[in-house]
Amino acid sequence: MRKFAALALTSVAALAVSAFSVQAESFKIGLSNGWVGSEWRTQMIEEAQAAAAAWKDKGVDVEVVVQSANVDVPGQIAHVRNFINEGVNAIIINPNSPTAFDPVFAQAKEAGILVISTDAEVSSPDALYVGIDQKAWGAAGAKWLAETLGGKGNVVAINGVAGHPANEMRVAGYKEVFGQYPDIKIVNEVNANWDQAQGQQAMQNLLATNPDITGVWVQDGMAAGAWKSIIDAGKQSSIAATGEIRKDFIDLWTKDKLNSGASVNPPGVMASALNVAVLMLQGKELKEPATAGQYKNAMYLPIPFIDGKNLADAAKAVDGKPGYYSYTSSLSIEDAEKLFK
Amino acid sequence: MTDATLPTTRPGGLKRLVERYPFLPALVIALVLLALNGFYQPRSVSFIGITGLTKTYLALMMLAIAQTYVVYAGDIDLSAGAIVSLVNVVIVVMMEKMGGSGFSVVAALGLGLATGLACGIVNGVVVAALRLQAIVATFATSIFFTGLALYVMPVAGTPAPAAFWRTYGGRFFEIPFVFYAVVVLAIMLYVLARTRLSTQLLAVGDDAQAAFQSGLPVTRIRIQGYALCGLFAALAAFCVTGDTASGDPLVGGKMTLFSVAAVVLGGSALSGGYGTVIGSIIGALIIGLINSLVFFVGTPSEWQNLVQGLAILLALMAGILVGRRARA
Repeated sequence: MRKFAALALTSVAALAVSAFSVQAESFKIGLSNGWVGSEWRTQMIEEAQAAAAAWKDKGVDVEVVVQSANVDVPGQIAHVRNFINEGVNAIIINPNSPTAFDPVFAQAKEAGILVISTDAEVSSPDALYVGIDQKAWGAAGAKWLAETLGGKGNVVAINGVAGHPANEMRVAGYKEVFGQYPDIKIVNEVNANWDQAQGQQAMQNLLATNPDITGVWVQDGMAAGAWKSIIDAGKQSSIAATGEIRKDFIDLWTKDKLNSGASVNPPGVMASALNVAVLMLQGKELKEPATAGQYKNAMYLPIPFIDGKNLADAAKAVDGKPGYYSYTSSLSIEDAEKLFK
Repeated sequence: MTDATLPTTRPGGLKRLVERYPFLPALVIALVLLALNGFYQPRSVSFIGITGLTKTYLALMMLAIAQTYVVYAGDIDLSAGAIVSLVNVVIVVMMEKMGGSGFSVVAALGLGLATGLACGIVNGVVVAALRLQAIVATFATSIFFTGLALYVMPVAGTPAPAAFWRTYGGRFFEIPFVFYAVVVLAIMLYVLARTRLSTQLLAVGDDAQAAFQSGLPVTRIRIQGYALCGLFAALAAFCVTGDTASGDPLVGGKMTLFSVAAVVLGGSALSGGYGTVIGSIIGALIIGLINSLVFFVGTPSEWQNLVQGLAILLALMAGILVGRRARA
């Protein structure tokens, strides 16, 4: 009899536990990052982890498992397979290749796993892209530059890695905008591989060969390098150039009152993707299906822009953070909910 | 040492076993790793889990085999990964140009094998006939092959026809395609191990001078070793293409040193003359199992690279300690 009572008690306890776990929704989400060469990526993962923790207040348990290491494409495919084995509900990936994940994403979908790529678009019809439109990102900086120059002047561009999909989209973005201003001439375009030192070197060379430039369109961390060359040459009053979003640069920008403007590619994109993923896992439907972009599977996030008008706000947002910290933004849970029915 | 030269003394049981099967220490390590994977994530050793592991690391196994044949002769091929990239873009571009039909896939694979073979022969001629140092010469040809790959396809991304990757990832009679590939591979290796070339390569690696004096055409044998390496690198490229379904002119670059590591993990000597192909395959598996184990034990993301490197070092040390004790 005592045995029976014990058995009954444990089964009741087990029932209660399972009933409780049904009530408190819980999801497991895998985050994969295939390149760890910059603080931006580290911040991206930390923000996504924070976003997952924030779901606790809503009564949703979101457990994240992270794979982040320098891997080649087969190595990142192994990441995805590990997640499939782990039995995650969703995978959020910053992919090393636009096309190489088609087969493995198809397998993930077969296993009932939601796949979202962020920061770089993927061609797989079994995945969704949640992130910014790199072309619009490039265009926003170009538009600011063209307006700041009053629609005329000689402009140079310093680009990232030739052939990289994000770089090509950004280049297409600024070309389209500058094309609308007949008096703006692109006098030179160089590649500095998203490297700050190479950006500085490239700017030095450009200043030496084109002394009459008035505008510079430059991306990400290379902007800090390019601005260093501009300041060294004493041309900061005659040149307008795009900037970047790390605290070190925002501080310099504020102190020297640079004539700059920066499109923001926030490291919070992965956190935004995570919030979208959780809502989708809850079975909610998007108001507008994600069909944007060249692969017809993208949902574009708004791109913040920093210029003279809101520089003080941006400086306040990164105040007290380390120098490599990037200005960020992401969809809050409430923002994300507004995108759903 | 005397044991090796005086076969009359009776070596101990373990010693004899490791002498007969140099890959035994690697096999033990691989089984331990497999058990650990199963312990931390039971699903990773399920049928689907093992299929995934095979799909992912079949390419590295192929490349480890490729590397083994040149290591047999005491050479090394640092261009193996670049050959993978080149063959990958060549077959993807070829399939796309010819419209992606069944025939175009077969034709592209033929061209891919020819490309791999040609690269291997170039390496062989440079190293064995022109007598340049293998490590530097193949490093140079790796840059050359990468350049060719970038010329063939400047930007990663052209998709491979669905017929191709659906075959690689698909099933026949409920058995995944990759397992058929493994069986065919096993038969091929069995036959190759019994050919004269394998023995000749080992003889050259053991003592090139002695091999030459006993009348072996050393230069030709080394070139043949590189040619075989090129062929298997092409097969590795087929696997990469099957798994990634697209072309990428840089896809194989990081695989080169992993293939060397797999050969050493498998118990072969980089100085040549001693080793097995089976060992290299197990070595490639060990690398794959370590990569997934690092994740399944829950290593924090910022430590994953570090732990992975340490684990490979540990596996190397364990293998060498066991092997040395058995052979000494």
